Amino acid sequence: MFACIYSPDVNEELDDFAYAFSPVVEHTKQHTVTIDVAGCELMFGSPYGLATEVATRAKRPRAEGGLGSQVNIAIAGNPDTAIHAALQLPGVSFVAEGEELTCLREFPIESLEYSLVNIEAKQAEVILETLKLWGVQTFGAFAELPITGVSERLGQEGVHLQALAAGKTSRHLKSKQPAPIFSNAVELDHPITELEPLSFIYARLLNQLCATLSSYALATNELLVVMTLENKSDHQRKLSLPHPLLDHKVFLKLLLLDTEMHPPPTGVVGLTISCEPVKPRVIQNGLFVPLAPAPDKLELTLARLAKLVGETNIGSPSLLDTHRPDAFIMKRFVLPTKADTRRRRKPPNNRQIPATDQQRRVGFRMFRPPLRAVVQAERGWPAQISAWGKQRGVYGKVAQLAGPWRTTGDWWRTDRWARDEWDVALETGSKNQSSKIQGIYRIYRELLSGAWFVEGNYD
Amino acid sequence: MDSYIELHARSAFSFLEGSSLPEELIATALAFEMPAMALLDRNGFYGAPRFHLSAKRNGIKAHIGAEISVKDPRVNDATFSLPLLVRTREGYQNLCRLITLMKLRVPKHSKNGECVVSADELAAHHKGLICLTGGFDGPLALALNSNPADGSPRAQKTIDWLTTLFGHDHLYAELQRHFNRDEEARNQIIVELARRNRLPLLATNGVSYATELRREVADVFTCIRNHVRLETAGRLLAENSERYLKPGPIMQTIFADLPEAISNTAELSSRLEFTLEDLGYEFPKYPVPGGETMMSFLRQRTEEGARRRYTGSNGAPEYDQARNQLERELKLIEKLGLEGYFLIVWDIVQFCRREGILVQGRGSAANSAVCYSLGITAVDPIGMGLLFERFLSEERGEWPDIDLDLPSGDQREKAIQYVYERYGKLGAAMTANVITYRGRSAAREVGKALDFDDDTLSRLAGLVHTWEWKDPKDTTERQFREAGLDLRNPRIKKFFELYKLVQDLPRHLGQHSGGMVICQGQLDAVVPLEPAAMPGRVVVQWDKEDCADLGLIKVDLLGLGMMAVLEDSIQLIRDSYHEEVDLAHLPPDNPAVYAALQKADTIGMFQVESRAQMSCLPRLRPERFYDIVVQVAIIRPGPIVGNMVHPYLKRRQGRETVRYAHPLLEPVLKRTLGVPLFQEQLLKMAMICAGFSGGEAEELRRAFGFKRSEARMKEIEIKLRRGLLKNGISGKTQEEIVQSISSFALYGFPESHAASFALIAYASAYLKCNYLAAFSAAILNNQPMGFYQPFTLIKDAQRHGLKILPIDITCSNWLCTIEKEPGPESSPHSKLSLRLGLKYVKGLSQQSGMAIERERSLKAFTSIDELRNRVPELHKDELRKLSAVGALNFIQSHSPKLSIHRRDALWQVEKAVRSPGALYEALTEKDKHSPLLPMTIPERIDADFRGTGLTIGKHPVAYHRAELNKLGAQRAIDIAKIQNGSPIRVAGWVIVRQRPGTAKGFVFLTLEDETGVSNIIVTPQIFEQNRRALVDHPFLLIDGTLQNQDNVVSVKAQSVRSLAFKVAAASSHDFH
Repeated sequence: MFACIYSPDVNEELDDFAYAFSPVVEHTKQHTVTIDVAGCELMFGSPYGLATEVATRAKRPRAEGGLGSQVNIAIAGNPDTAIHAALQLPGVSFVAEGEELTCLREFPIESLEYSLVNIEAKQAEVILETLKLWGVQTFGAFAELPITGVSERLGQEGVHLQALAAGKTSRHLKSKQPAPIFSNAVELDHPITELEPLSFIYARLLNQLCATLSSYALATNELLVVMTLENKSDHQRKLSLPHPLLDHKVFLKLLLLDTEMHPPPTGVVGLTISCEPVKPRVIQNGLFVPLAPAPDKLELTLARLAKLVGETNIGSPSLLDTHRPDAFIMKRFVLPTKADTRRRRKPPNNRQIPATDQQRRVGFRMFRPPLRAVVQAERGWPAQISAWGKQRGVYGKVAQLAGPWRTTGDWWRTDRWARDEWDVALETGSKNQSSKIQGIYRIYRELLSGAWFVEGNYD
Repeated sequence: MDSYIELHARSAFSFLEGSSLPEELIATALAFEMPAMALLDRNGFYGAPRFHLSAKRNGIKAHIGAEISVKDPRVNDATFSLPLLVRTREGYQNLCRLITLMKLRVPKHSKNGECVVSADELAAHHKGLICLTGGFDGPLALALNSNPADGSPRAQKTIDWLTTLFGHDHLYAELQRHFNRDEEARNQIIVELARRNRLPLLATNGVSYATELRREVADVFTCIRNHVRLETAGRLLAENSERYLKPGPIMQTIFADLPEAISNTAELSSRLEFTLEDLGYEFPKYPVPGGETMMSFLRQRTEEGARRRYTGSNGAPEYDQARNQLERELKLIEKLGLEGYFLIVWDIVQFCRREGILVQGRGSAANSAVCYSLGITAVDPIGMGLLFERFLSEERGEWPDIDLDLPSGDQREKAIQYVYERYGKLGAAMTANVITYRGRSAAREVGKALDFDDDTLSRLAGLVHTWEWKDPKDTTERQFREAGLDLRNPRIKKFFELYKLVQDLPRHLGQHSGGMVICQGQLDAVVPLEPAAMPGRVVVQWDKEDCADLGLIKVDLLGLGMMAVLEDSIQLIRDSYHEEVDLAHLPPDNPAVYAALQKADTIGMFQVESRAQMSCLPRLRPERFYDIVVQVAIIRPGPIVGNMVHPYLKRRQGRETVRYAHPLLEPVLKRTLGVPLFQEQLLKMAMICAGFSGGEAEELRRAFGFKRSEARMKEIEIKLRRGLLKNGISGKTQEEIVQSISSFALYGFPESHAASFALIAYASAYLKCNYLAAFSAAILNNQPMGFYQPFTLIKDAQRHGLKILPIDITCSNWLCTIEKEPGPESSPHSKLSLRLGLKYVKGLSQQSGMAIERERSLKAFTSIDELRNRVPELHKDELRKLSAVGALNFIQSHSPKLSIHRRDALWQVEKAVRSPGALYEALTEKDKHSPLLPMTIPERIDADFRGTGLTIGKHPVAYHRAELNKLGAQRAIDIAKIQNGSPIRVAGWVIVRQRPGTAKGFVFLTLEDETGVSNIIVTPQIFEQNRRALVDHPFLLIDGTLQNQDNVVSVKAQSVRSLAFKVAAASSHDFH
């Protein structure tokens, strides 16, 4: 015999609740579990006694092992009949063997749980539509159609569905395996404020985590650390890795570096480390391919560098597709993959014509950051420039200039930009002294703020 | 210093490559005191007429040109854009032909780079053109970009090619400065090359928009063109906003180092002698037999026709009476050189007659006795005293427009194809229809460019209301707020700005529904032609207005559903009633027609079936043909807005005395009881009272018409008042006349047009009243058309005693047909019934329907299996649909005992559509009946509505009559007997919902039950309170007050409730 428990108000807790009655539990669908009650007579007297006990216990508050809610429970000789009965009939129902159709007869045909006989939604939809056209509105009407006629018209799927409607299916329950947990937590008696004691706890939790991952042949590329602080707030850190790893020592070092850079504001009284399990990375290195740094070592090096120079200042610069001058972002540094290498080896499509000596382009040295400048303009044209930075200063009279070169954009955003660039040749010396060109510079003016800058000089 | 003239500008008519309308460019040029300007749209002259007319109005010289896409491997590998300016008329014609050549070679939606010209084609069409070397996408830039290190040899080669092609004197080295480094580097080389080749420099700004602000729209257009978002468009977007129309002083500063580049603009402008004024268009010629001139031929055809039509019998005037008018018209036609045009239209009409296609001229052409004599129109203007000047006048300087109504569908296409065939592909084309960014399309596309998610996009598009009437409280802010969008959010605010900016900008070119321009093999020298999306159609690059503005004469071949109904009815009458009906000679005063009109029993009748018409008919009570003319014209915005309807009806009912503003007006307004209803009356009023000539009066109508200009109106009004004063009309009378003319001119309806429509209205009423089966079959075969859904038409026909037979595969054709019931032949009409056609089975393709017809004509079907085998075109779904609507019930036998029910058919169909496999193929089911139960009545109605959109059984409401009686709801047929002002409760199915713009927010519903229809009036307040029920629910119960005025019965709603009936219903016809 099988029992199905259905409650529209409860979902997750239903499984645990069901385990209290039978070791064989199937999580049939949302809000629905089915259990095998064979052999439970010793504990509950009869299947009906079990059903009554389930209904009574479900009403109890959660603290007392109940669900705090009413449930429908149906007992039948096969799981599918029990499921349909529980879904359709309130309270406790008992379907005696051989009486399945009597119970199911009036159920509306739309409530047929086609997935129970492994029929896809699309296919079931077509069959149900045909049944609707036939005027078949209930399980009973469907069950009474001649099976040959159904088979000729609706195929084997139709026959399976008809058996389902007649309560004539039989199957084993798909019992539920508890999902592995990739998370470890610890609560501390005293708050920790130092990194060293924290590192021991990190090590312990990571060890356990890696052992769990290893037992499932998995690795991770994302670690989430949640520290519960003295003031009862949470301090969260997420560590994303470019490749899946499974080395608790590396994880520990990375976490320690990260905690050093982002220490919790107060003492830590609880700690949870969880991870996203993924398939481990499998690489077959070529015999003649130079070895790239090991990913774990690379990650550690990058983390150490980030600690030194700041997180935003490390990575690979990547130009943005925009007219905005010098617009780029820092992307995380990743080792080139084989595909990248292949792509790079391919000869470029455009024929590059080497420049001749006369036409060789002028080199440009960019000042990073650009020098803030004071520019005297005559009728909108720069005439005198003075700019000083920490390491260099640029000043002089504009002897020659070209420009402006104007770029404006991102007008639909709040951070729109507009700037005029000029190439200027500056000369030093006053009117009395003989003047001399001291260099060619690129200056620009941010049109929205009116501020002037020296961006760099030409070789 | 020399003035600067912009000679390279694109407008929004470059379709997504420019973002200002031509008028905006001209307005900006005017503000900069630019004496001339050139428009060079991409591969076309789309914007040229509007540019030209706007420039002409503002005293600016409009130069015309185009940017032509060129691709030739001998010149360059890639496609480049060559700016060409028109110098002479020959140049214009060459450019037109060149564009036509490139456009007609490829289909409408060809890929970029396919619609191009070759170097040889350019060489063949170079005369009269000036070539510029172009901007960033021009041939020089391409040559220089292809080799950044040193492109000058290649650029030199390009210059050599262009010089050979256009000649040294007709090539200018174009310089553009948009503050861009690369561009300036190119400019340096171009200057050097120009000096080396002694080519003049020319400064342009490669304008893409009139003002800097429009750059944002240009960027949005770039996104739409490239199917990207602003955020991801990157360097596809413009680098800066410098492509706006710049004034001379700024350009002089920018080109301070090259002053000759500026001065050359004025020099080049002075060389460009061509403007669109000098189009060289000639009226089309008609080939006439040897020894004849077009005029003599036209005279003969007119005389022949006139003698046939003006016989003096049946109320028609004698030929001699008409001769003077004909002569006057012919003289004017000859003077204006329009004889060829009239003959062309006559020829089309002759073709239609030969092919048995119904054709009738509409609009102002009905004012012409020549058109009437030639058989183009069907209304006698002399008999009806219509005014010829409304159609054609010398003073107006504008050409007549003859509109022909043809049966919509294949017949009309036949006529269009005849015109193409007769005048050649390059001799005739449809006028274009410029599709602009408006409402939802603007909201959706701008929203997409700004990267709004689908949900927000739908909300934004939903903001654009489709109701005809707009609530004054409905401000944009409120609309946005209600949709949950905050206008203070910068992105939403930007969306709103852009949405407003793109309004009315061209999106793409479509084709006008029927306007054709004809020019005997020469049309491609007048305007570029291009293919339409529809195969076999060619369109000109100008729309109807542009053609009219530039004096191109056209003929409108319009499709009218009712013409097709009339044509089909005549054929059905011929086949089933064995009678011949000639629409030109219908009995003029058929009592049944007028009785039906007076009762407003007009469902399905042309022009008089709408709810508003129905509510007017019992008051107007038409008694003769002219009353129908008035009826057609009176329910229009003009008379309604001008408050003419009530005075006319009151006078007609004798409740108000007929009076005239001035005795002089009596002859003009007598027919309409002193109330001006028609445009012709307005013209005559001006002619009689103010001494205007016919042409002047027409000019007055136009001045007060849609394209109003304050200055022009004032000018005409002064003239009008002066004329009135001269005739001694002053003070209050003068004021009254001026007021009625000025307010009415905007909306008035021409009497000739009303008369043409009234003829069709009368014909439809005559056929409905006398040949109901044929008329009903024809109107059902031509759906969708008219005001009502097929269900209502069928119920109306049933109420009038017509038996409707269900769809039956053993006898239904694709179209509805007429069947004769077995019995004595004494009264053939009463024994006719209508068999619904297979076309009413939703989801059944015409191909399958025709295949059923074809197979059945060979041998009757005897089983579903046989049907399936013999008609392989039938899909599984189609068979199911046929079964569900009962079309297969009689496939085995017509005897009730042997017929099967719908579910039996469905049971069999499911088996028939599944292959049983080779082993079981020979096995047949013994019992043809299924284990399934027959459909219940509600199930059958539901299946009928789902499967056909109609039911021929009892009205859905009839099944709930007992329930409704308990609720105290009156039947539609009974409410006319209830006293005016009584409280009343009605219920029914909503068949029409209307919220007309002229009704100040009132909503009009038509409810139908098994006995007929009732009209409901809903005030704006009641509408707001019950919006959901009124808009969404098919069955309503309405409490209100009965209004019965002059037998016009309606219910003024006070409360509205939806009824939850468990029967299906077809959707209503809503006019929002």
